[in-house]
Formats: sequence, structure tokens, C-alpha cells
Amino acid sequence: MKRVIYIFLIIFLVLLFLKACIRKDIPEQKPANTQNINQRTEFTYPKRAKTITLNGIDYLQSQAPVGNFGGEVILSIFGEGPKTFNPFTSKDATSSQMAGMMFDGLFTTDAKTGEVIPKLAKSYEIKGNNYYVYLRKGIKWSDGKAITADDVIFTWQDIIFAGLGNTSLRDSCMIEGKLPVITKVDDYTVKFTLSRPFAPFLRQLSAEIAPKHAFENAVKKGAKYFDGFYSTTTPPDKFVTSGAFKLKEYIPAQRIVFVKNPDYYEVNTKNEKLPYLNKVVYLIVGDANNEILKFEAKEIDLISLKGSNVAIYKQKEPSSDYKIYNLGPDTGTMFIVLNLNNRKNPDGKYYVQPEKQFWFKDKNFRYAIDYAIDRDNMVQNIANGLAEPLFTAESLNSIFLNENIKGHKRDIDVSREYLTQSGFFYNKNGKLFDKYGNNVEFDLYTNAGNIERESLGVMVKQDLEDLGMKVNFKPIEFNTLVNKMVNTLDWDMILMGLTGSPLEPHNGKNVWNSYGSLHLFNQRLEKTSFDDRLDFEKELDEIFDKASLETNFEARKALYNKYQQIVYDEKPIIYLYSPTRIVAVRKKIKNIYPSMLNGVMYNIEEIYVDK
Amino acid sequence: MKKVLKQLIKDKFSLIALIVLIVIYTALLFADFIAPYTKDFSDRDLSYVPPSPIFTINEKGHFSRPYTYNYKREFDPNLLETTYKLDRSHKYYIKFFSQGMPYKVFGFIPMKRHLVTVENEGRLYLLGGDINGRDVFSRLLFGGRISMTIGFLALFVLFPIGLLYGGISGYFGGKVDVLMMRFAEAVMSIPSFYLLIILAAILPPNMTSVQRFILIVIILALIGWAGFARVVRGMVLSIKTQEFVESAKSIGLSNMKIILQHILPQTTSYVIVAMTLSVPGYILSESGLSFLGLGIQQPDASWGNMLKEAQEYSNILYRPWLLTPGFLIFVAVLSFNLIGDTIRDILDPKSKMR
Repeated sequence: MKRVIYIFLIIFLVLLFLKACIRKDIPEQKPANTQNINQRTEFTYPKRAKTITLNGIDYLQSQAPVGNFGGEVILSIFGEGPKTFNPFTSKDATSSQMAGMMFDGLFTTDAKTGEVIPKLAKSYEIKGNNYYVYLRKGIKWSDGKAITADDVIFTWQDIIFAGLGNTSLRDSCMIEGKLPVITKVDDYTVKFTLSRPFAPFLRQLSAEIAPKHAFENAVKKGAKYFDGFYSTTTPPDKFVTSGAFKLKEYIPAQRIVFVKNPDYYEVNTKNEKLPYLNKVVYLIVGDANNEILKFEAKEIDLISLKGSNVAIYKQKEPSSDYKIYNLGPDTGTMFIVLNLNNRKNPDGKYYVQPEKQFWFKDKNFRYAIDYAIDRDNMVQNIANGLAEPLFTAESLNSIFLNENIKGHKRDIDVSREYLTQSGFFYNKNGKLFDKYGNNVEFDLYTNAGNIERESLGVMVKQDLEDLGMKVNFKPIEFNTLVNKMVNTLDWDMILMGLTGSPLEPHNGKNVWNSYGSLHLFNQRLEKTSFDDRLDFEKELDEIFDKASLETNFEARKALYNKYQQIVYDEKPIIYLYSPTRIVAVRKKIKNIYPSMLNGVMYNIEEIYVDK
Repeated sequence: MKKVLKQLIKDKFSLIALIVLIVIYTALLFADFIAPYTKDFSDRDLSYVPPSPIFTINEKGHFSRPYTYNYKREFDPNLLETTYKLDRSHKYYIKFFSQGMPYKVFGFIPMKRHLVTVENEGRLYLLGGDINGRDVFSRLLFGGRISMTIGFLALFVLFPIGLLYGGISGYFGGKVDVLMMRFAEAVMSIPSFYLLIILAAILPPNMTSVQRFILIVIILALIGWAGFARVVRGMVLSIKTQEFVESAKSIGLSNMKIILQHILPQTTSYVIVAMTLSVPGYILSESGLSFLGLGIQQPDASWGNMLKEAQEYSNILYRPWLLTPGFLIFVAVLSFNLIGDTIRDILDPKSKMR
């Protein structure tokens, strides 16, 4: 009996195998799909908010369509959650985002044009080197005290310029070693006097303003106390804030809940007080996969989509409750950078081996690499077509983008030509040697654990091996990589990504300045005894200094165009691509006017939930 | 030994497990021959391509030699969707034992024959492609070489140390024993995970990832012997009181000889069981470490780092062929455990009555 069962089982398996082998060749047919997502979603933005005076109070009047009150929006943030709610001590993006929910700045950025527009301030005026800021009369902190010039002066004088908390804003306000002088004109007017015209200053004034009466004590207790002030352990009802939402609760690693500030200074066109929403909740999610699952389960209302998920979501869109917006190119850039360092470390050894220095400082070598990179396939395979090849140092959405730089396709013959021009030659096995007979072999690093970068590294390696170079591709642990980049400097080539500011190229000064803290391609750990800057480095330093002192937009643009041209011509950093940002938002959420400059939820007080 | 093998074959489960392992290891040994492509061969137009379909009945409904079509990538710029369609303009017949990409058998005999190939322009991706357009099936075979052997490597470091250390400690007893055991406990309490993270940071970067990983495994073994040594010591403590040890002593054999020739052979049954059962542990730790980015790195292949690619949401849903390394890890680990269990039952019948 048992044997019979076995025989049957075996016959069954064999038949199954045969069935699997026999396959009929029938052409498949797929229904045609006609939706379109590649075009950037066009928005008709509402008119800019204006100031109206009601009962002696200068309200900001939103011009967006009138919505209904109530409801909540649930959003998500990555990582471990905020480290602090104090906008002045925050050093990470999440903390700044949360602090930004609670505190308004004097100015903000226009979503469409990127111009500086008033927020907490009523208006501004620039007379020569004097910046006059006029405040709204009658608006209040969340505890009912008036917001006045004293708060502004206190914030700038006693917190920012005093160097409390995060000093990066103070450092970037420094013009030739001098800080602006602040004077109080009257209770609602503040004057900032600069020693010279300084273009980025108006945007810097967008920084959050602190309530003097709440912060005064903490400031007096010194920097150490201030660092722990308004932290994540402060009880929510102790916060005195100015934003549209107040903190309700923060549960570490789970969620942050904000509730409506009933006394906010913005109204709609019917003069009803905003915000519309009762609640804004941020869920803290571990990673992108987790976020997707939460969005699928309708636990969150907004998600940034990447890679193949876009096509999946786009297909489901017609029968779903969300809408997909294409915001265009993101601020992120992906690039490979060469180590042009020709100095010795304290032990007297070269950071980069001398024969490699010879290759890397050779412009033809860098051009050869640039022309060998297959950006089109990178965009196609790794970013799933959701990116654009990048050739400029500014990201594609920057208002300072140099549009004259068109880039080029991969052309291995052009690469080879550049190499032969510099005396590189091939042996009979197709290996590349420099004119002194050294085999061209170097290391390429990236951070391990990031599939996007690892696959990109594999492609770069293959591309360069087509040129006969030997590339040792080594993904290493992230902190080790950072240590290599900023301390030990013993690397040849790194594949990395950075996020820039689409509005202010001056923020990239730490990368492009010869002594900048992130001057990747030629990091100087300390001031060298003599000027060893390369010619193009000197030029870049000059351009950045000049451009920051220039206030005319066109003139600045011309300067920043030149900087991008220099970077493109010299290629110390070879850009690969810039990803496209695509978001899915639930349809029930209205008054959504996403922009690449500001994101999606920048106008949170105007957003409402449809009933 | 013969008896053990006989009983292994008699047990149905362990027989199946044995066959599975033999098949896997033979396939890995002849990976160059079986795999249609080399480890690093990539066709960029075939990123995430689905497995090649093999047809045996042609479009007219007649039986035919097996053939396949190439996939053609189509990117829809409106939908931002990449789709693969079969390019039905050209059939590529599957050839057995024919010339393909050149390779070297066991690293030195140059050869070109492969088990299955298609004509030159054709692409036979039996298990689809990965993000870089490499053949998953070929990479599975090459990756398995690392994943499946790394465990044995660790054993060759771990067991001699553990045996000798436990043997000496148990045989001499007294103060020597106390000292040696405290030291073993200290070694046991080194947190291996943090050690690995530190190691990943300080190991010289000019090693290849395979060299680096072998080093990591050896270091893991160097701190992993302590638990094994403690068990051996316990066994030696009881063995040394037996008469044959007394007699060996009385005829004046040296201590080392007694330990190596008379005592340690008595622990064989335990050692064999412990060895078989710890191999899967190392296979799993390889996949775990590679998954975390501490083990084998791109462009080298291992089952762990191949599986890492599958962790993305859309990959699990829409590209299930990327999960095959996970399936193989499961099968291999299960087989080792089944065999280990059976061997224990055979060598140590008393433990059956649990």
C-alpha cells in the first residue's frame, strides 16, 4: 500500500515537472494606459496672503479658498524623532521641522517664486544698508502676551548673535567679521544695520522669533542650560509659541501631536481665524518600507514616493483616495568626487599616493571619467526613471541654476581621446597605464547598506573598467566613510549625495570655499602656511565672496552661473543625477499647493479636511 | 562511521536533507559550468528583468526545441513605469553543453562549455535579473560558494581551539581549571555584535570584501570557542576518572598524549553533532551580517547581500525572484539541522528519551 502511494507521488511530481516544461508561446496583450505623471503637476497658486487690519490687529489674510474647520492630518517623519523643540538649538532636520511648526519667522518663502515674503512681520524696507522690519500690531504669543520689537531684538541680540545653541546662523550673518547692529525704532519697528550690503541677509531674517518673557531666564542661565531648554522633556503646556499649532504631546519613538492655536494671526477671506485643522499628528516611522505600509493602512495622509512605487501607486490612483503630485527635481544631488589633495599628513605621508595625485589633478583624466559615466542608465535602472541626469553643482530646481550647461551623453571614445592626450596608454590586455607606466587602479567608497548607492557604485566601477581602469569598489560603514572624508582624508574617490538649498547657493559655501568644513575634493584640515589653492579654487572663493555682497538678483545669478560653469569645466565633483520628488496626498486634504521650494505642508494653516 | 552513515540513510528526513546538501554543494562546485553567466556579467538594459520564459510549444501549436525570447525594456515616460515585453521577432534556442562565456574550472583549467546557454545575442536569465541587470541564477551559485563554505572555515578555527583548551582545563583540574575557565568566561562575554561594528571600521580598507569577511568569521570563531570548550571540559572531567585513563597514566604516558590520544577521542560523538549543528549558525550569521552591510559587499555576491536587495516593499511584491537566496538559506539551514539531529540520535541514543 505504502509503495503504491510512493509511486503515485513520484508520477505526480514527474507530470508536474513535465507540465512546467511545456509552455505555449502565446503573445500576451496588455491594456494601454494613458495616464501621465511625468509632467510636473501645474498648480494655480492662490494670490499671496496680504495684511488686513481688523479692530486694530494686523492680521495676515490668506487668499486661498475658504475651507471648513475641524479635522486632523496625520503625517510621518523618519528616524528617531526630534531631539529638541527649541529652534535655536536644533541641529537636525526633524527638530528644525518640529520647531518650525511651533514658531513662526519674520519672513517666509513664496512657494511659487521663492521670494522672501512677510509672515510674522508686516512688511520690510531696505534703505541702503539698513533693513527696517515692521511688525504686526496686536498679535499675541500663545500665552496672550503681545509680540513686539523687544522679542525680535532679544532673539537676534541675546540668542543668535550671543552664540547660544546652534551658531551656524550667526556664522553665516558675519560679514567680514562683523555682525549686523540691531536698533529698536519703536515698539513695532526694528532696524538692522549691516556694515556692507549682504544678499542672503533678508532670507536669514526668516529665522524663528523667541518670546522674550519665556526665554529671558534661560538665556541668563548660560549656554549649557539653554541647550536643554524647550527640550523634548519640557511639559507641552509650558511652551510659549507663535505658530499655527501648539504642542499637545510627544511620545518618543511614536508620535508628536500638535493642536490648533486659537489665537493665530492669520485669517481667511471671510475673516475667520485660521488654522482650519484641529490637530496635526506626526507619526515617527522607522524607514521607507514602514512608511509605505502605514500609508497603505491609511494611517498617514501623505507620502513621498520613490522608484518603482510610483508606477504602482499611479496605477491604483484612479480607484483610490489619494492624488499624486509631481514636484519636479528634488534638492538632492548624487555625485562622485575625486580627492585632489596633494598635501602630506602629520606623519609626513601623502594623503593620496603621488601617482594617483598625478591622475586626479589631470583635467583630462577627470573629463575622461565624466564622459565614461552612463547617467541615462543610472536614471533608468537605479532611480527607475524618476530622476534627471545632473551636470551642475546647483540642483535642478535651484532659482540660480545655470541653464546654459547642457551636459552630454556617455561617449567612451571621447573619454579615450582625453586619456591619450595626457599620455595614458593601453597594454595588450586593455589595461590602462599612465605615461610613467603605472597601472591605473584606485578605490571607490560609498556607505554600505544603501542599495541605491551600492548599485550606483557597481555601475561606476563597470563604466570606468570599460576605460581600462581598475576600480576597487568598497562600500564601508557610514561613520567610517565620514571620518575618511573629513579627518583621515585617505581616499581616492567617493560616491555621495548632498542636499542643497534651491534658494540660496551661499549655503553651499562650506563645500566650495577652499577652507570650508566640507570642501570634499581638497579638504584642508587647518590653514596651510602658504596659499596652495588651485586656480579654480581661488576663483570660486572670490565668486562666493562677491556674490554674497551683491544684492541685485541678476548680478548674483551671473556670478553663480560662473561658479557652476567653473565646476563643470574643472569637474572636481562629477554629478550623476538629481531625483524627482513625487508625493501622494489623500484627496480629502484640500488647499494643497505643493512646490519644490517649500514642499507640501508649508501652508499648514490653510490646509483643511473636506467633509 | 559506516554505521552512522547507514542509519543516516535509513532515516527518511536525513536522507532527503543529505541529498539536498549534496546537490547544493555539487552545484556550487561546478558553478562556473552550470551558471550561464559569470558573476559580474551585466546587461544594463535588463535591470530587474523577470525570469526568461522557456517555450516548448511554438506559436503554431507544434512541439519545438525549447527556446526563449529576449526581453525588451520599455520605459513609459508618461507613467514613469518600466515594463518588460518579450521581443518576439527572434527566437533563441536553448543549447546544452555548448560554448559560452569563458571561465576557468577550479581556477586554472580554461573552459567555455556551459550546461545551458542560448545563442549569442540571447539572454537566458533563469531567475531574472537584479538592479544592475545581472543574472540572479548565476549569482546565486557564485554567492553560495561563500555562504555555504564560510561555516566550515569557522569550524576549523573554533573546534581545535575549543577541544584542546577544554581538554587541558578538564584534565589538569584545580587551579589551572579555575584560571582557564574564568578566562573562557571573559572571552564569552565579549559582545560580538559591537566587536564586529568596530572591526568593520578599523580593518584595512584595501582588503577585498571576501578577505575581510573571512577575517571577520575567523575572529568570530576566535571568540566563539569558549562555550564549546566549557562543554568539552565537563566531558573530560568525567572521562578522566575512568580506568583506561588511570592505566595510561600508570604506564607513564605524557599528559599531552593522554589528552590527545585517550581522552579527546571519547568526545567525538559530541563534537560531530556540535559541528553539524553550528554550520547553519554561520550560514545565518553570514546572511545577517551581509544584510546589515558588514559582510560581503557589492559587487561580490553572497546569499545575504542578494537578499538585502529584496527587502524593498515593491521588490517583495513585484520581483519575487529576488527572494530565491532566502529560500536557499532556509533549505540549507534546515538540511544541516535535520542531519545534525539525526546524528545526535544515532550517536547518543540516551538523549532520545527527552
